[in-house]
Amino acid sequence: MSNPPVSDVDLFSDEVLLDPYPAYAGLREQGPVVRLPANDVHVLTRYDVIRDALADWESFSSASIAFNPTANEALTGTSLASDPPAHTLLRATLTENLSPRALRGLRGRIEEKADALVAELVGTGSFEAIDALARAFPLEVVADLIGFTGHARENMLRWGQAAMQVLGPMNRRTVESFSVAGELYGWCSEVRAEDLAEGSVGRGIFDAEARGAVPENTAGHIIHQYLGAGVDSTVAAIGNIVALFAAHPGQLALVRANPALVPAAFNEVLRFWPPVNAWGRRVTEEVEIGGVRIPEGAQVAVLLGAGNRDPRHYADPDVFLVERNPVDHLSFGYGPHGCAGQGLARLEAHAVIGALARRVGRLVVGPEVRVPANITRSIDKLPVLEVVPA
Amino acid sequence: MRIVLDRPRCEGHGLCEEAAPELMHLDDDGELVLDRAEVGEADAARAGAAVRVCPVAALRIA
Repeated sequence: MSNPPVSDVDLFSDEVLLDPYPAYAGLREQGPVVRLPANDVHVLTRYDVIRDALADWESFSSASIAFNPTANEALTGTSLASDPPAHTLLRATLTENLSPRALRGLRGRIEEKADALVAELVGTGSFEAIDALARAFPLEVVADLIGFTGHARENMLRWGQAAMQVLGPMNRRTVESFSVAGELYGWCSEVRAEDLAEGSVGRGIFDAEARGAVPENTAGHIIHQYLGAGVDSTVAAIGNIVALFAAHPGQLALVRANPALVPAAFNEVLRFWPPVNAWGRRVTEEVEIGGVRIPEGAQVAVLLGAGNRDPRHYADPDVFLVERNPVDHLSFGYGPHGCAGQGLARLEAHAVIGALARRVGRLVVGPEVRVPANITRSIDKLPVLEVVPA
Repeated sequence: MRIVLDRPRCEGHGLCEEAAPELMHLDDDGELVLDRAEVGEADAARAGAAVRVCPVAALRIA
C-alpha cells in the first residue's frame, strides 16, 4: 500500500471555484485518491470510488461534512452530520414531510406557478434570468411550503447562501458568512407554529411536534435544514437549466419535440454542472482505495463534479446531452445521506423545464456572471436578451 | 436472485419503478411494492438497474 499522489490544486481558490473542471480532469488522471496540502484534504476523484465512499458510512463518516471545525460543531446532532444508527431516526424525521409521497399534493401548484412565471417572462421578451426565475421561483415555492412571509422571506436568499458558504474552509468567505448564517439559525430557533401559514408543511412539522410524532424542540431544527440546504442549491440548479438550454438550443429542441425527456434533461443538467461540487467526509479508520492509503482521521473531499465527468463511467463526459439520461449522477450524493430534498428539487426543476420547453423556442443570452462561492457553484447574473417564442 | 428492500430506508423516490416497472411499483400511498422479488435470468439486468438507481441505496440483490 502506498501514499496517494500529491497535487498543489487549491479547491477553494477563486479560479477553481469558478471553473473546477480543468483541475478535476488533472486530479482524476493522477489517481482515484489525491492529497491536497493546500486544503489539508484527500480528494476522491473518480466515479466508482465516490459512489462506494458515499455508500460506506462506516469508513466515511459525516461528522465532518464541512471543511472547518466551527461549522462541523454547529451541525452536530443533525441528520446531515450524523452516522447510523443515530442518523436513521433523524433522517426519518427530516424526510417525513419532504419525501415524494408527502409532496405529491404540491405538484399541481408548483407546475402552475412555474408555467405562469415562465409565460410572464417570455411575454416581456428580455429579463435577468437569475433574479427573475432561478431565485424567484424556488423562493416562492419554499416560502409557500414552510409557510413564512415578511421578514424571513426578504432575507431567505442571503440566509440560504450563507448557510452553504460557511461549510467551506475558514477563508474570508466563510468568516464573513457566519453572522448571516446565524440570522437564519436564530429565526428558525424562534419561529413558532402560529408564525407559519395554516396548511403549510412548516406548520405540519410543528403539529407533528405537538402530538409527539417528532421529539420536542426539533421542529425549528428541521425547518432550518430545509432552508439551509434547499434554497441556494435549487437556485443554482434552475439558473443552470436556463444557461445550458440557452447555450445548447439543439438540446432544448429535443425536449420540445419529446417532453418525456424532461426528467432526463434535469439529470443531465445536474451531472454537467452540479450545484455542489465538493462535500466532506472523515475517515474513521485507515482505508485502502486502489492500493492507496488514506489515514485514520483524514478529512476527505468527495468531488461529485469530478466523478460526474469521469470518462470511465460516462462517454464524452464534457458534452451536454439530454438523451443520455444519467440517472446515476452523483449530484444528489448517494446512499443514507442522499439529498433529502431531491423529490422537491425534481418537482421544481421538472416544472421549470416543462414550461420552458412549451413556451420557448430559443433563448439569446448575454455573458453569464459568476461569483466564487465555497460550496454552491451558481450563476449570479444571466441576461436573456431575446426570447424566440415557441 | 432476489431483490431485497430495506423498507425503513425507502423514501418513495420511485426511480426504481421507472427502471423496472414489471418488477415493482409505488402504490397509492407512495409505498414501494415489489411485485416480483424473485427474478430469473431474463429480468436480471432490469433488477440490477432498479437497484442501481435507488438514490438512497434502499434496494439490493441477494
